[in-house]
Amino acid sequence: MKISTSEYVIREVFFSLRRNSWMAIASISTVAVSLFIFGMFMILVMNMNRMAESLESQVEISVYLKDDVKESSIDDIRGTIESMQGIDTVTFVGKEEAMKRFQERLGEQKFLLEAIGDTNPLPNAFEVKVKHPDMVKAAADEISKIKGVESAKYGQDVVQHMFDITRLIRVFGFAVMVLLAGATLFIISNTIRLTVFARRKEIAIMKYVGATDWFIRWPFMLEGIVLGFFGGVVAAGALRIAYGMVTNKIYDTLAFFPLIPMFPFIGYVGIGILVCGMVIGAIGSTISLKRFLNA
Amino acid sequence: MIQMKDISKTYENGTVALERVNVEIGKGEFVFIVGASGAGKSTFIRLLFREVLPSSGTLIVNGHDVVNMPKSEVPYLRRGLGVVFQDYRLLPDKTVAENVAFAMQVIEAPRRRMQHSVNAVLDIVGLRDKYKNFPSQLSGGEQQRVAIARAIVNNPALVIADEPTGNLDPETSWEIMDIFKRINASGTTIVMATHDKYIVDTMKRRVIAIEDGKIVRDEAQGVYGYEN
Ligand SMILES: Nc1ncnc2c1ncn2[C@@H]1O[C@H](COP(=O)(O)OP(=O)(O)O)[C@@H](O)[C@H]1O
Ligand SMILES: [Mg+2]
Repeated sequence: MKISTSEYVIREVFFSLRRNSWMAIASISTVAVSLFIFGMFMILVMNMNRMAESLESQVEISVYLKDDVKESSIDDIRGTIESMQGIDTVTFVGKEEAMKRFQERLGEQKFLLEAIGDTNPLPNAFEVKVKHPDMVKAAADEISKIKGVESAKYGQDVVQHMFDITRLIRVFGFAVMVLLAGATLFIISNTIRLTVFARRKEIAIMKYVGATDWFIRWPFMLEGIVLGFFGGVVAAGALRIAYGMVTNKIYDTLAFFPLIPMFPFIGYVGIGILVCGMVIGAIGSTISLKRFLNA
Repeated sequence: MIQMKDISKTYENGTVALERVNVEIGKGEFVFIVGASGAGKSTFIRLLFREVLPSSGTLIVNGHDVVNMPKSEVPYLRRGLGVVFQDYRLLPDKTVAENVAFAMQVIEAPRRRMQHSVNAVLDIVGLRDKYKNFPSQLSGGEQQRVAIARAIVNNPALVIADEPTGNLDPETSWEIMDIFKRINASGTTIVMATHDKYIVDTMKRRVIAIEDGKIVRDEAQGVYGYEN
């Protein structure tokens, strides 16, 4: 594009936004709100994905040993498990180690343990990882029959349940995101439609004297992109603040909930929102112009 | 300049506006399209710059195959033409000079030529001293002169005008015709639809008469031939 044309385009956009400044502010605000909700669902879905992934990789069998098992037979049991089909790793977690881990997990809520004093109710255990998640059930059944093993648990129900919930949230979240993208498109294309209507004479003359469709389209497209961009900036800022509050709250109360850390994650979300806003703005203005360019 | 063969135009609602029209217009000609209201003059004009597409037939304008050209080529057809309407169609919030320059700007003409070309065409139409005025500060004749300046600023090979004097009194109409005569004298082809009997009869140029969408007369130095 020629420099004089770029100047023309930028000047046109500037004048148009100033002429309809209230309309522009109103549509930037509405776009911001809908991109904000869009972003919330994006964050939710991504966190759900991450949770599902971490659960998937964590599918392991906890093998609790009976209290009366002697130190010497612990190695025998480990050997038996290791010799079974499809076993990946076997890690011993002694009573003391288990208690230490539990305390760490509780973090600031460690005081809860004061109630049980110095006793350690946790058993000796093995953490067994299998090569494939679908081998879990068979392996757990076999392990539980070994002498000296109290129980072999793998929380299959919980895992399955979580998968179901995350799938639901993913589908629902995606549907809501599509809906909000549609709403944003509608808002922007309506705003641009007003500009196009105000300048329909100019567009007609441009066509008579031989302006190309792209030349006519540019200022409107850029106007839509600008609306989408500013809406996106406001939404991204608000998301940054909101996610900050949510992560703080969750670290305070649910310490081991695996939220995606704020940085750089929220930066990517912000960029995603901006790009979405701008793309939607471009598409919205193209839609508004279509009728006038084909006429 | 214009080769029209077996051109027919039927609008979407079924109105037959032109029927099997054959016209050949050479470079540098000055042609009047005459006929009663509803005869098909405007349709003829609008076909030339592809505002409407013919229903059948072939049409070559200034080397462009108007019927088969892709949509993306239409702007380039129009850059070789200047179009003037009865209602001027100026932009009210732009000055005279800006209205004329607008036609150069939107086809991305080099900016250094702009000032010079705008001045030159404003000289031709005699409005150099009013370049700063807005259309609302001009008479009808002056507004039409701005529209003509805009139509010729990109040096078109062909100027087409649809009843350019339709809203003007006889004296002003003559001033406008004088400008068209001068543009034509510089080699530009002119096709003008009109139902101004006096102008046609006095100019003694080629006259193509249309009745009910058909050409009924095509004379080299014709007259209007109807009573108004
Ligand atoms: N856009 C249109 N849709 C339908 N009919 C039209 C349209 N434009 C013109 N016509 C009809 O086509 C015929 C020719 O019109 P037009 O070319 O405007 O004639 P003129 O300019 O000689 O008055 C008329 O009957 C008119 O009503
Ligand atoms: Mg007409």
